[in-house]
Amino acid sequence: MVKRIFILFILFYFLTLLQTSFLVHFPFFLKLPFNIVLIAVIFINLFESSEKNLGFFSAIIGGFFLDFFSDNFIGFNILILVSFSILIKFIIRRYVRIPVIKRI
Amino acid sequence: MFSKKTKFLSIIIGFFLILIFIFFEKPLKSFFYSSSLPLQKALWQAGDKVSGFFEGISGIKNQSKENNYLKSEVEGLLAQIASLQELKKENEKLREALSIGLEKDFKLEMVSAVGKDVSGDVILINKGAKDGLKEGLPLINSQKIIYGKISEVSDKTSKVILISDPNSSFDGAISGKDITGLVKGKGNFNIYFDLIPKDKEFSKNDLVVTSKLSGTFPAGLLVGEIVDIVQDDVKPFKTAGIKPFLNINDMENLFVIKEW
Repeated sequence: MVKRIFILFILFYFLTLLQTSFLVHFPFFLKLPFNIVLIAVIFINLFESSEKNLGFFSAIIGGFFLDFFSDNFIGFNILILVSFSILIKFIIRRYVRIPVIKRI
Repeated sequence: MFSKKTKFLSIIIGFFLILIFIFFEKPLKSFFYSSSLPLQKALWQAGDKVSGFFEGISGIKNQSKENNYLKSEVEGLLAQIASLQELKKENEKLREALSIGLEKDFKLEMVSAVGKDVSGDVILINKGAKDGLKEGLPLINSQKIIYGKISEVSDKTSKVILISDPNSSFDGAISGKDITGLVKGKGNFNIYFDLIPKDKEFSKNDLVVTSKLSGTFPAGLLVGEIVDIVQDDVKPFKTAGIKPFLNINDMENLFVIKEW
């Protein structure tokens, strides 16, 4: 678990740098409210077993880096991404029954 | 899954981390920006080159049309330069005769952008307090196009709020006409001209420049050109949309005006 969290740390650090320094040069990404960190958090939560909590940690780490590279106070994006994570887990646990998705 | 002791320790650690983030937010952010600076700079330059490559490919089919348009623009501008040269000479003679000093040049510090804020039209530049930068200093490029002003300074980096940010507003004027108003940001690199007196006449493609009324920026810096005019009979002022000259892909060599 600690190893996975460390990998998430490195992954989200690079995704945030990519978002703030590389993708800004492409008009397509500027015009849309495009956030690759948010997309990564959503995908991790979607394809993870609803009982596991790696998605929750990915939301905290992703939000942490987004707050550091923005003008908002630390905790703003963490709250948003954690809410997304909890919402996705809730919907999957309650309403989604797709046996073909391989659980991580 | 976790024992009571582990949960209790996690809560205590979490509480202290939150306190650290609240009271040491600025130094922590400053440390993060300084340590990420080389990587951000490399990614910014890579993004600039890749986007330039794709823009070149997609622009091939329009190049011939654009060339013809630019040629006619150049001819028109050359004629304007010739007439302005005469006016410049006359201006210098008059200043000499009236003993008015020429405007001094700006004191500039060269900087470059390394990142853009995820939450708004705010960019990060690669110089800070150690290079003599302070809050409120304007940022321009070599063509004297205004980009914004410094909003936050740390040791080695600074944040610049662009003129298109919704929190940005400054006095502007229409070049060559006695019309002033307030240039405001709308976000996403859009700006507009507000509080223009109803009786003042101006047209599309008129140039908007900075005005020295409030002292936010030096006068005469290029802002953009008028693209549409909105006149509402109910409102006491006109507004106009402005196409800004600032370009996200041209932020390699910028200048902070340290003195004007």
